[in-house]
Amino acid sequence: MTTVVPAARAGRRRPHGAPARTGPTLPRVLAAEWTKLTSVRSNVWLALGTVVAVAGTAYGLGMFVRPDDGRSGSWVVTSGFVLAQLGFLVLGTVVGTSEHTTGTARTTFAAVPRRLPVLGAQVLVTAAAALVTAVVALGASYVATADARAGGAPGLDLSVPGASRALLGFVVACVGVALLGLALGALLRRPADALVTGVVLVVVGDQLLAANPGRVTDTVRALLPSSGARLLQDDAALAALDAATRGPQLGTWGGGVVLAVWVLAVLGAAAYRLRWHDVG
Amino acid sequence: MIEVEALTKRYGSTTAVDGLTFTARPGTVTGFLGPNGAGKSTTMRVVVGLERPTSGTATVDGRRYADLPAPLHAVGVMLDARSVHPGRTAYKHLLAMAQTHGLGRARVREVLAQTGLESAAHRRAGTFSLGMGQRLGIAGALLGDPATLVLDEPVNGLDPDGVLWVRRLVRELAAEGRTVLLSSHLMHELALCADRVVIIGRGRLLADASVQEVVDRSERAGTVRVRTSEPELLARELLAAGAQVTPQDGGVLHVRGASVDGVGTAARRCGATVLELGSESGSLEEAYLQLTGGVVEYRTAGTPGGAR
Repeated sequence: MTTVVPAARAGRRRPHGAPARTGPTLPRVLAAEWTKLTSVRSNVWLALGTVVAVAGTAYGLGMFVRPDDGRSGSWVVTSGFVLAQLGFLVLGTVVGTSEHTTGTARTTFAAVPRRLPVLGAQVLVTAAAALVTAVVALGASYVATADARAGGAPGLDLSVPGASRALLGFVVACVGVALLGLALGALLRRPADALVTGVVLVVVGDQLLAANPGRVTDTVRALLPSSGARLLQDDAALAALDAATRGPQLGTWGGGVVLAVWVLAVLGAAAYRLRWHDVG
Repeated sequence: MIEVEALTKRYGSTTAVDGLTFTARPGTVTGFLGPNGAGKSTTMRVVVGLERPTSGTATVDGRRYADLPAPLHAVGVMLDARSVHPGRTAYKHLLAMAQTHGLGRARVREVLAQTGLESAAHRRAGTFSLGMGQRLGIAGALLGDPATLVLDEPVNGLDPDGVLWVRRLVRELAAEGRTVLLSSHLMHELALCADRVVIIGRGRLLADASVQEVVDRSERAGTVRVRTSEPELLARELLAAGAQVTPQDGGVLHVRGASVDGVGTAARRCGATVLELGSESGSLEEAYLQLTGGVVEYRTAGTPGGAR
């Protein structure tokens, strides 16, 4: 082409005092994703609702625990995990799918066409939000079970082997489940698909298989992401689980490793789809 | 500058864009026209890197969109007014966009003011009317002060004030030396604000020319219309002079192959009284309909006894 045109005049015109015109970096995308997460009111309600559900479950179950039940003090405080994982799964799924369900993907990926920094930032932002929510939920559960402890439920004794690890494990497992939800959401892009898959993997599958104990079902159970719940058990409870199973012995950290592998594998698939396939 | 070369995009067995080549140049508003399903939106999405071409290339300032170092500063994109989370406010939506390029809150407030959305800035986008959604989309496109703008149906749903505003805006943006690629279904709107038009049908290029050139291609362009008291007399005279004449009702003749002056002179020669005389000009709409007549994907059955 030979025509001479005022090509980049407009592009180079800068407002006074404006910084250099540079593109997306991970910290910038991270700031943007944090703004996105916190600017949707339903996300904040979801986190609050999760805290209430966790503390409420712990309160309810705590009322029925007696000293001779064989339940530990950490179990009482973390017993809300049953419901908690649903909240965290939804939180992750919402972050992972909302780009695609609302059409925001067009705006987001036009601004960050390399795309993967967005997924990376979503992982960090979701992990941070889940971490804060889980810690708050744990604190709320502790407060909510104070009455139960006064009334006969076992006290929270951190000198019990594995008790402090179980409390930390609650937070880690919550973050893990949220990230699994995010990964499924980013991979499947539809909230219903991602949520159903997540619930099957995290809750239903384990329950169904537990109804038919055996070598095969116990092995499959051990390899489902629901194994992450082992992180919530103290040493005595882990020993009891390992004694009962006919599948592989996962030991102290095996359950957490299984959950982490699931998160990484599904995230990898989501990253592949995002990088190589059309969006919007 | 946007350069699309031999672009093809297939979805399974459906070919949405088929070997399309065109260029949108700086300082020009390029109108992008075509029937529904012609591949306009697909082309625009390939240009901004949301979809990858099956073959061919689409580049902005000589680079693939994904290779642009600062995309928001290079290209302002508005593909669909519904590209916003309904639960997020206009301000936060733009802020999240701005943050990806390290732009400050001041710039967000600037574009909100520029698009007349200041009073709605802290309302959730889900409560917006279609017109306000369009304004928010345009605000997002302007955010990075880009050298190129890609706007899909920007006047859709805007009130007359808004339509006028978009027309002035795109003219100003082009006058500043920017490249503007704009699709629209509103022909007269496009005729008013575009310099060039690219017309596609079924994913193929039908025309790529200035608005005037396309208008001149319409059948009616260049016809002289004359109303006279003696149509037969004048018609004979004109035919003898080598013109083509189509008689109409009410003593009106449509003449091709003769100028207005020629028809007037012929009337004087044969003594016919001229009651009305003028040249017909074509319209972009007519030219468009003639061009795309054969390739409309979703044709209406037509109203019984209806004209056209």
